[in-house]
Amino acid sequence: MDRKTKTRVDGPDDPREGLEAVVALRRTLEALEAAQVENAFVAGWSWARIAEVLGVSKQAVHKKHARRIRDRYPGETPRRKGRGA
Amino acid sequence: MIFTRFTDRSRMCIEAALDEARMLGHDSLGDEDLLLGILRADEGIAAEALSSLGVTLEGAREESEEMLSGALASIGISLEEVRREAGDAFELRIPDKRRIPISPWAKKALVEARKEMRRLGDNYLGTEHVLIGILRNAEGTAVRMLSRMGISPEMVEERLFELRGRAAG
Repeated sequence: MDRKTKTRVDGPDDPREGLEAVVALRRTLEALEAAQVENAFVAGWSWARIAEVLGVSKQAVHKKHARRIRDRYPGETPRRKGRGA
Repeated sequence: MIFTRFTDRSRMCIEAALDEARMLGHDSLGDEDLLLGILRADEGIAAEALSSLGVTLEGAREESEEMLSGALASIGISLEEVRREAGDAFELRIPDKRRIPISPWAKKALVEARKEMRRLGDNYLGTEHVLIGILRNAEGTAVRMLSRMGISPEMVEERLFELRGRAAG
C-alpha cells in the first residue's frame, strides 16, 4: 500500500464528519475546562496554581472563569498565594 | 436589517433559539437552534406543522445532544465518560456573559425566510417563513436533525401549506 492510499484510508470518509467532530470537541473542551477549573477551585486550589497546571497566565484563567465560579460559590474565596490544598 | 418585518412571535422564537443554543452548549446560534426556538415559542402553524409530525422540543433537544455525542464517538471520545470523569460541574451550557454569534446557516435561513415571505406576497415575516427558510438548506443541521427523526423537509412544508390554506379560509 503506498503512502497516498494509506492516508486516504485513514482519513474520515466524509470531510463533513471530520469537521463536525472538531465542533463537538471544541464545545466539549470548553465545558470540560470550565468543570475542571471549578473542581480545582472547590478543592481549594488557588488561581495561580490552576493556571500553572493549565500552562497559561493567572490573568487568563481568572478572566475566563472567576466570575462564573464566584457566582456559584459566593462565600468562598480561594487563597491568593500558596500551593492550595 | 435582518429582523425587519419580523412579527413579535418570530422575534420571540429567535430569542428562544438563542436560549436553546446557550443551554445546549452551542457556541453559535445554528439553524437547528432556530428550529428549537420555533418548537419552544411558536403558537402558530409552524410549530403545529412540526408537532403534528411528532417533532417535539424535548425530542429535538435530545437529537441535538445525540448528534454531538455521535460526532465525538467518531473520533473515539465518549461524552458519557467525559461527563463521568468531570463530575457534576460538567455542563455544556454556555455561561451567560459570553455572547454567541449567529452561524452562517442560521443567517442563510433568515435570508431565505425573507425570500419566501416575498414569494408568498406576505407583508410580515412570520415563523412559517422562518421554518421554510430553515428547510431550504438541505445541507443544514436542522434538516439533518429532522431526517434522523424520520422527517423530510417536503413533509414539513406540505403540512405547513395545508395548515396555511386552512387558516386562510
